[in-house]
Amino acid sequence: MRPLLIEGWSLGRRLALAVLLLSGLLALAFLLGISLGSSPIAFPEVLDILTGRGAVDPTTAAIVREIRLPRVLLAAVTGATLALGGLVFQALLRNPLAEPYILGISGGSAIGAIVGMLAGLAPFPGVTATAFAGSILVLLLLLMLSGRGMLAGRDALLLGGVMLNAFCGAVIMFLISLSSREEVQHIIFWLMGDLSMFTPAQLPLLAGVLPSFVLILALARPMNLMLLGRDNAAALGVNVRLVTALLLFATTLMVSLVVCQAGLIGFVGLVIPHVLRLLFGSDHRLLAPASILGGASYLILCDLLARSLPAQGEMPVGIVTALVGAPLFIFLLWRARR
Amino acid sequence: MTAVTVRGLNLFYGQRQILRQVELTVAVGEFLVIIGPNGTGKTSLLKAMAGLLPAAGEVLILGQPLASYGRRKLARELAVVPQLTPSDFPFTVAETVLMGRSPHLSLLELEGAEDHRLARQAMEFTEVAHLANRHLDELSGGERQRVTIARAICQGPRVILLDEPTASLDPAHQVRIMDLLEQLRRQQGMTVIMVSHDLNLAAMYGGRLALMHEGRISAVGCPAEVLTVDRLEACYGCRMEVVRTQPGGLLRVHPLAAGQTG
Amino acid sequence: MLIIKTFALALFMLLLSGLCQARMLVDQFGRSVEVPERPQRVVALAPSITEVIYALGRQEVLKGTTQYSDDPPEAKNLPRVGSYVRLDIEKIIALKPDLCLAIKDGNPLHAVTRLEKLGIPVYVVDPRNLEGISKMITGLGEVLNAAGQAGKITKEMQARAALIAARIAPSTSRPRVFFQIDASPIVSAGRGTFIDELITLAGGHNLAAGANGYPRFSWEDVLRLDPEVAIVASMAGGFSVADLKAGWQRWPTITAVKNHRLHVIDASLVDRPTPRLLDGLEVFARIIHPEIFGAPLAN
Repeated sequence: MRPLLIEGWSLGRRLALAVLLLSGLLALAFLLGISLGSSPIAFPEVLDILTGRGAVDPTTAAIVREIRLPRVLLAAVTGATLALGGLVFQALLRNPLAEPYILGISGGSAIGAIVGMLAGLAPFPGVTATAFAGSILVLLLLLMLSGRGMLAGRDALLLGGVMLNAFCGAVIMFLISLSSREEVQHIIFWLMGDLSMFTPAQLPLLAGVLPSFVLILALARPMNLMLLGRDNAAALGVNVRLVTALLLFATTLMVSLVVCQAGLIGFVGLVIPHVLRLLFGSDHRLLAPASILGGASYLILCDLLARSLPAQGEMPVGIVTALVGAPLFIFLLWRARR
Repeated sequence: MTAVTVRGLNLFYGQRQILRQVELTVAVGEFLVIIGPNGTGKTSLLKAMAGLLPAAGEVLILGQPLASYGRRKLARELAVVPQLTPSDFPFTVAETVLMGRSPHLSLLELEGAEDHRLARQAMEFTEVAHLANRHLDELSGGERQRVTIARAICQGPRVILLDEPTASLDPAHQVRIMDLLEQLRRQQGMTVIMVSHDLNLAAMYGGRLALMHEGRISAVGCPAEVLTVDRLEACYGCRMEVVRTQPGGLLRVHPLAAGQTG
Repeated sequence: MLIIKTFALALFMLLLSGLCQARMLVDQFGRSVEVPERPQRVVALAPSITEVIYALGRQEVLKGTTQYSDDPPEAKNLPRVGSYVRLDIEKIIALKPDLCLAIKDGNPLHAVTRLEKLGIPVYVVDPRNLEGISKMITGLGEVLNAAGQAGKITKEMQARAALIAARIAPSTSRPRVFFQIDASPIVSAGRGTFIDELITLAGGHNLAAGANGYPRFSWEDVLRLDPEVAIVASMAGGFSVADLKAGWQRWPTITAVKNHRLHVIDASLVDRPTPRLLDGLEVFARIIHPEIFGAPLAN
């Protein structure tokens, strides 16, 4: 896949252009996400509410501040995390099909969430906590299974993760078979990604992804080198074991943090890095910040569609990301083969 | 000071012993070719020299023990050119070559004008400058190898290790690569250590050859000394014909089919 | 002088409390809720609550309700605020309610908490049996200033139930009854459900009463239980009436099938905690004890 834009530009120029474009997109998505919903609110009114001036209708203010703003923030942080996580795993595993759930995070957090839901826990903090615990436990299990070989060879990681996901899938089906009709509906919505359960009290949790963001951005050049292969990266001065461990833990932590609050939203981590690579090239020093901005915008817009399209209620946002993302991915594959 | 000195090197892979008490000295500015049958440990020896495999014994790079080098410092003195370069996420030629400057840059530092100049120089030397904006997967095998060598040159090393660099190339490209390496050696005093299957190329370019057999160096010396019929048969297990095309000229080695006498 | 002052003060306090726009009531979940004196904009968070509001004649204060609130038919025109398990908080707020009415087993607690945090009082009802329904109607009557009508409805409910209980009492037979809610897999109603209560009040023995909630059965289980009366909810599992009956008729050894005591009834008679359950009770009574109440009407 070759960049559509800006052949031959220097990294600095491409980075500036990418950040400019994507920041603009994010701002636009943000405004749209807050203004639109079950009832449209005019932009000027939205700005008044956000900046706290002007006389505003308290109901509208409540809708914007208590419901739409937190939800859009969750969508932004989740989208950014998933896209960045997909980018990291694609580099770590040197596999274009890698996405943030590939190492068992999806299976583990799903089991945790379902157990929490069946136990009658509230979405926050109950189900959130059990989902988080589930994904961390699966990661530990993966570490034990792959052993020392995990940090050395990518295949051990990949195989272990895929097998764990498959096993978790069976456990999930078993748990679903035990559930009542209503519980099954809750579970399905969680499995497909559900941003509607978010409360403002959860906002501080989102900040937990920031350390991971910083670490990954700092490791962008080593990620480039890792794509040359383990030995070549080491020969160029990269501490492969350390970088692999840091990236693995940082990514698992941040992805678990958003998944336990938003459910399993797919096709963001897989598709966004590829789209950005197609536009801007393979240098991770550009792709990492671009994934953060691009992923955030994408999920805000998909969530907007999920809320607005159905005549009644809303779709799980994972359906929209799949319906948009899958054809997009197929298109990218087709382009790559030409 | 030698370029590389290996003493008493042993390497195990699980229970199997890959390298047995390997002893080898490579002088600065030398062109050494390591030859031997498959599975005899040639690549492992190369990787052990580069610090990529943990071997017991002594390895000195430019007079200093290998263990005393930090990763980045080692990468500034010693470059490794692998047999194949993966291209799942193709970078451009320019990006790839620039990666060779990484050992000279701190984590967050961007490449500067000097780095770009050195990369350009390396690309011109290996004659891939005209491909700077092309992606690796668009190039032929020979072009890709030249890119990798350009990247290695960018590291500014004094020793360059190559693992069968000409294995999948056609004869014209093979010779081109070997000429490039010889040029590097002569013009910049680079020490070239290469693993190769191709006995004829080894004979053509190698200042010295090291013949490996079952994890040991069984012979080392100039091509004429090493490439004898008996030595080759003992190592490769097949009878070969060694011929000089003309007096004082190139050595030619061919394996003989059963029944042939040459 | 002191007496007059005290009297004036008491009168003043009385007036003041009358002027206060809210009163503290205890809802059916045991919580103290500050409910407006005269609620003007009410959102009902379950179809059964909507039905009761219409029965109380207070539908003009009802401004919104959940999906599937289509009894009575006029309720279909009300704005929807999501389903009762997935409430759309934004839509609820947009209706500017001064009171929300929630149902304990159904509306998620966190949604109720969310609404209260946003300053909207929520009164929770918990109709888990016929008595609970009476209490719900009484409670809602008090909240919506329709105590008189509430009293009328509950009296009528109690009279109808008492009548049936009185006519059952002399009889000692309690036929074995199996109620099928769902098909593929077969689901019945156990302890703690309305259906269980209705079967018992109608003088039957609920074969699923060994479990709580909604247990599953295989045909093998049903054969072993051998019900004397089988009642099937229409649209169980999405099957047609003919298909549902055919499912049972495959097993001619079952007593209910042998004696042609297989009945399909309209599910809406027994699935909502509203006064309509009394209609369901009367249907059950005819089905289970035709010798007392007369043959069941054609389904």
